[in-house]
Amino acid sequence: MKRVGGSSAMAWLFGASLVILCLWVLLPLYLLMVNSVSTPDQIHGWPKRLWPEISFDTILFFWNFQGVAQAMFNSIVTAVITLLLSILLGTPAGYGLARFRFRGKNLFRIMVLMTRAFPLPLLALPLAVVYLQIGLDDTLIGVALVHTMLALPFTVLVTFSLFLGIPRELEEVAWTMGCTRWEAFRKVVLPLAAPGIAASAVFAFVVSWNEVFAAAILTVNNQTLTAFLVQSLDESPVHLKFAGGLVLVLPALVFIFAVRKYMFSLWGIASR
Amino acid sequence: MTGISVAGIQKRFGAYQALTSVSLEVRDSEFTVLLGPSGCGKSTLLRIIAGLEYADGGTIDIGQRRVNDLPPRLRRIAMVFQNYAVFPHMTIYDNVAFGLRTRKTPEAEVRTRVMRMAELMDIGAQLSKYSAQLSGGQRQRVAVARALVVEPEVLLMDEPLSNLDALLRLQMRAELKSLLQEFNTTTIYVTHDQVEAMSLADRIAVMNGGHIEQYGSPMQIYSRPATRFVGGFIGNPPMNFLLDDHHSYSRQVGLERPGKAHSLGIRPEDIQVYREMATQCWPVKVGVVECLGPMQQFTAELDHQMLRVTADPDLALHSGETLYLRPDPAKVCWYDGEGRMLPV
Repeated sequence: MKRVGGSSAMAWLFGASLVILCLWVLLPLYLLMVNSVSTPDQIHGWPKRLWPEISFDTILFFWNFQGVAQAMFNSIVTAVITLLLSILLGTPAGYGLARFRFRGKNLFRIMVLMTRAFPLPLLALPLAVVYLQIGLDDTLIGVALVHTMLALPFTVLVTFSLFLGIPRELEEVAWTMGCTRWEAFRKVVLPLAAPGIAASAVFAFVVSWNEVFAAAILTVNNQTLTAFLVQSLDESPVHLKFAGGLVLVLPALVFIFAVRKYMFSLWGIASR
Repeated sequence: MTGISVAGIQKRFGAYQALTSVSLEVRDSEFTVLLGPSGCGKSTLLRIIAGLEYADGGTIDIGQRRVNDLPPRLRRIAMVFQNYAVFPHMTIYDNVAFGLRTRKTPEAEVRTRVMRMAELMDIGAQLSKYSAQLSGGQRQRVAVARALVVEPEVLLMDEPLSNLDALLRLQMRAELKSLLQEFNTTTIYVTHDQVEAMSLADRIAVMNGGHIEQYGSPMQIYSRPATRFVGGFIGNPPMNFLLDDHHSYSRQVGLERPGKAHSLGIRPEDIQVYREMATQCWPVKVGVVECLGPMQQFTAELDHQMLRVTADPDLALHSGETLYLRPDPAKVCWYDGEGRMLPV
């Protein structure tokens, strides 16, 4: 692009917006991080120091807090069930969208996206009632089902673009060389798609790990970490909240960073 | 004995009729080329024979076996694709071994056969590499090796050379020809390149608009085009067609013509060029002159109809001068109003 007169003001504006956006995201993360590795006294003390002495008191306190370990375990179980369900259901759907012509295909794709536009709070009450009726209330599998519903559209669309990127001829040549459809998929498509499928699996895990609303409504005793923290927000000390926040945010950040390439491809942005 | 017999094949994609009742006989160990412009249905026909597309009607037999409802893996075919389709996650060795392994060949035999094929295709040094490390020509060799190593009854090739650059294509064409003569495999080869078709084929099926215009040996197709389309598609420059519905031009050069003849077809090199006025000639005005080395080509205007003529390179030609042309009577073809060739 060619720079023309007056563009330096634009460049300043652009740079400033970038800085503000970055601070908007990074500052809370920084405070979260700093406060989690400070001692409880430092958290409450004033003035703040930019770079605290590292102490694991807060984290240890959080870890030993009544119910945290169980909630964390529940979160992991729920996220793993969500991951498995969304891959098992989403990958075939993505493959079908990428490889077959069928009536209503475009409508289906739009419907998949529309499920994300549906407000979950609207669904909460009827869902809770139905769960009570069929005995799914206060179970991890019940929460995982809702989380699967949230993660599935992404799994379908990510695997769809993934399979679309694998030339059809690779499969066809495998068919002509004696493979059944399934064998060709297993020997040719799956190895090529595996990194992308792993990425959408991680994403499904993170969706479940982060989700708080459904988890808080549908569970009473078997709470996930998010639900546990939300419920104990009022009565717990400040440093517990900081540590809990960090434990929630960190895995999500690390995972999403690891699979960012595939998330970009979903949105049609080329990375690299 | 593995001939291929295709009868009455039809295919439509939505409202688009891709193939309208195509029939084709390929004899055992024959090399047939499907030739035509893009969109003529040649690739679709090949894919139907391979079992990658289903036909809406008609029958396909490979070696007296009705294969209509068989999936590709049971048709005893091998296929080479335009983009080579070399598996990127396997070494070249594993690529070539793939077909043998799915057929549960003992690993020792796989090894000897892959090695022999690799030597034949000159890819021995590449066996431990991956597709991404290979050049286009090498990938092409891998694709051919992978197809031939299973010793298929039928080899199907879909524009296998069109992704190579011109020089490499020429070299691969010659290699492919000698290789396939050695293997004696019944082959169907799709291309839009007429030179490729002429040089490789035992027989060429020229396709247009979803049907076969003519099926015959390269020389038949070249010298006796069954339709005006074939004459206009094959040859560079293509055949000349002279509208002759009043019999005036044919009478002028003393040609007998069939009753229903509408136009006259003559190849550019089958026209004699005279500098002086001679009997039974067309007087023409020279248009553009192009010297091509071994010969020269010029356009000639005959009462607002354009002819392309090939002439000796030594003949001094000037744009705008008048020359005299006489077509070789033995090489003239006649076409009716629908563009079909008429018997003389």
